[in-house]
Amino acid sequence: MLLANLVEGMTIGSLYALMALGLSLVYGILRVLDIANAGAYTLGAYVGVLTWRLTSSWWLALLAGAAVASGLGWLLQRHLYVPILASGPIVPLIASIGVFTALEEAYRLLFGPYILKLPARIPLPTVRIAGTVVSGVQLLVLMVAVAAFAGIALLLDRTRTGLAWRATAQDRETAEAMGIDVGAVTGRIFLLGYALAAAAGVLVAIHYNAVSPTMGDMPAYKMLAIIVLGGLGSPFGTVAASLLIGLVETFVAAYVGFLLPRDAIAFAALILILLLRPQGLFARGVAAR
Amino acid sequence: MSYAVVVGVTVTIYCLLTLGLNVIAGYAGQPHLGQAAFFGLGAYVAAILATRYGLPFWLDLPAALVLTGLVGVLLGAISLRLREDFLAITTIGLNFVMVAIFQYVPFFGGAMGITDVPLPSLGSYTFDNSAFLVVGLLMVCAVALFSAYLERTWFGAVLAAIKDDEVAAAAIGISVPVYKIAAFALGTATAGAAGSLYAHFMSVVTPASFSFSESVVLLSMLVFGGLGTIRGALLGAVVLGVMPEVFRFVSDYRMLLYGVLLLLMVRFQPAGLLGEGSWLHALLRRRRLERGGLGRAAA
Amino acid sequence: MPLLEVEGVTVRFRGLTAVEDVSFQVEEGEFVAIIGPNGAGKTTLFNVIAGSQRPSRGRVRLGGRIITGLSPAEVSRLGVGRTFQIARPFGSLTVRENILLAAGREQLGRAWASLRLRHHDRAAARATELLLRRTGLEAVAEKRASELNVGELRRLEIARAMAGRPRLLLLDEPAAGLGVDGILPLRGIIGDLRGQGVTVLLVEHHVGFALSLADRVVVLDQGRVIAVGLPDQIRRDPRVIRAYLGEEEQELEPAPAPPAGEAPGPREGGRAEGVGGLA
Repeated sequence: MLLANLVEGMTIGSLYALMALGLSLVYGILRVLDIANAGAYTLGAYVGVLTWRLTSSWWLALLAGAAVASGLGWLLQRHLYVPILASGPIVPLIASIGVFTALEEAYRLLFGPYILKLPARIPLPTVRIAGTVVSGVQLLVLMVAVAAFAGIALLLDRTRTGLAWRATAQDRETAEAMGIDVGAVTGRIFLLGYALAAAAGVLVAIHYNAVSPTMGDMPAYKMLAIIVLGGLGSPFGTVAASLLIGLVETFVAAYVGFLLPRDAIAFAALILILLLRPQGLFARGVAAR
Repeated sequence: MSYAVVVGVTVTIYCLLTLGLNVIAGYAGQPHLGQAAFFGLGAYVAAILATRYGLPFWLDLPAALVLTGLVGVLLGAISLRLREDFLAITTIGLNFVMVAIFQYVPFFGGAMGITDVPLPSLGSYTFDNSAFLVVGLLMVCAVALFSAYLERTWFGAVLAAIKDDEVAAAAIGISVPVYKIAAFALGTATAGAAGSLYAHFMSVVTPASFSFSESVVLLSMLVFGGLGTIRGALLGAVVLGVMPEVFRFVSDYRMLLYGVLLLLMVRFQPAGLLGEGSWLHALLRRRRLERGGLGRAAA
Repeated sequence: MPLLEVEGVTVRFRGLTAVEDVSFQVEEGEFVAIIGPNGAGKTTLFNVIAGSQRPSRGRVRLGGRIITGLSPAEVSRLGVGRTFQIARPFGSLTVRENILLAAGREQLGRAWASLRLRHHDRAAARATELLLRRTGLEAVAEKRASELNVGELRRLEIARAMAGRPRLLLLDEPAAGLGVDGILPLRGIIGDLRGQGVTVLLVEHHVGFALSLADRVVVLDQGRVIAVGLPDQIRRDPRVIRAYLGEEEQELEPAPAPPAGEAPGPREGGRAEGVGGLA
């Protein structure tokens, strides 16, 4: 029971981390809190369902979802966020809420208000550890998440691309003066960020075998809570906060019972922690300007 | 006719909410994405006082106003500690938490909410919908006039200064915290009063009516009409409040419309339709100047 | 008793010492300039006095009262007006309203008083008109502050700081970024302050500008006071010359300062030359 909750908590935490990581990269580069990222999560899930229906291939569904969502991300940064960047952090946030609201409605109108199924079978064995079952889907989620984190960590730390990204996040103007194509960097980060969210969407769709227009509702805002807890823009902090929230939610739901619905936990924690540490839980001095 | 009256009352409630939001987000420039939570708080306070303690509308209205304003003071105090984007998230979070509390704490009646909120009465006269409309309009007038007054006071200029530059405001001796908290108190108290009117008008209060998406609707209205102006707050509430009612087909696309409007306005017309510097406002002003010019020429 | 006493102020940022054990005093009615090369700690010291930077050690007194630890707003209300190096106007308010707001300070301290109508305060309105005239901003009084040019913004900064009738006026590099045509009127305005008996503490990178205005000069280098004296003494002080030469390859030529209020020499206007402006 304890172990099962631990595995489920880690699975959910990993899904959160996939979404939150994209959001935190985007925040790092533009200082925009991008609610619309959760629109990519739902988009990924729908594209995943359609692809699966056509091809019956879970990994094609994953790829297609990520690809389409990447396109959305690129368009949004190019035609919405970058042009209004000068007006401070709140205006893009409001715009992104508008985008997200419109996207959710569009999904409802296009695909109907009901739940679609994505019963993809994952060719991974069910593992038993000390009497606890780890399903193939859970295993897949954990593997994708670990691969994504490792890839991003390597990218940021070891490559020239990563250096350019970090430089741009640090100081946009200086990076530009140093000859970094800031526009291209921003574009690539949105491609990656939205692909991650969409991947999470497809995985969630497989995990719960359900896709609905409003599935992005809770992640949209919960991810904000998570990246703030994680200290905004710090990938390590974001992953840590995601896992923490995933575990806490699962354990509170399992042992404490009702008190607060599980989806309010992240926000309650957020408000509490912001009051105690206004710069976020894992923030290092520089990240919290 | 009576349907029009119902729409009218709804719109007056929207007007109160956007006018309140305008004090916080428009005048003081503080991101507030949880106005619906305060609307809900006012509605619950009024509904509980009316159904369980038998308080009449005339007493539970001020009670809802004061209590909601006090919680607003709390949010204002929180706002002092946070950068503006953290604050925006916190107000969103507050909306979710507040709705969760309404839904899960038995005191607030759970998902079914509170039912049978009585109709207000004045002597032997019990309110009908027209009476609600009259009271609603009176309240809107009162709040709008108070806002107009506020704009001309020191307080109004201080809020504008804080919106423009908090550091410079402090440098001329303004106690930024006091004024921020005051702005939150006023804006949320207005929402509380609107909540009381709503509770008695609907006679039912449920958590779902105060979700975050309602806050988005309110913000859309204000941004659409023109952040920081009374005329903008009223126009946004009236146009976006009436549209789904008049055009039935719109009501199915209501949230899509709000979402698209929000992003288009922010992207292309950030001052809103009637804000300072918007094309419509510039056009209207030019018209007025031309007419004034002609009048003088004729005289 | 001196109006301002800075006593052993030290400011450290994570091991980096920006200001070290700085002490000096400003007498009532005096005009003191703090000069020093870039990174000397001028602005940090300035922020300590204005209350926006808490010192690691030391304290600041205003008229005998300790003001370290007070918030910028409290320091301001005790009678310290300040300008900002990069102008911070209230962009959505008009120039007149910018000044009026600062002039109506009595109404701003108490929440209830602030609910009075602005245009009812005759005294504040009069003070505002006077400042508009003195700073030559009458023509742009109805413009929004966000529409002003650099020179006008600098003058608005001074007018707004003066509107609170400060006992001590802190000017943070008022000449920075201005060309000759901007510096000329500004010099006149700042020179006039002396005639009004205002105590001024000026922080300036532009040495010629500072020396021509000040009664007394404090020279900072690498966070320490390296010299205090009359402008003429400072001009000849070898330590000062060395501090500046360490920063830039420039000759520091002593030359008599024009009396305050008079138009400065043409070469003084140049800002880009750094110390070269000290002709």
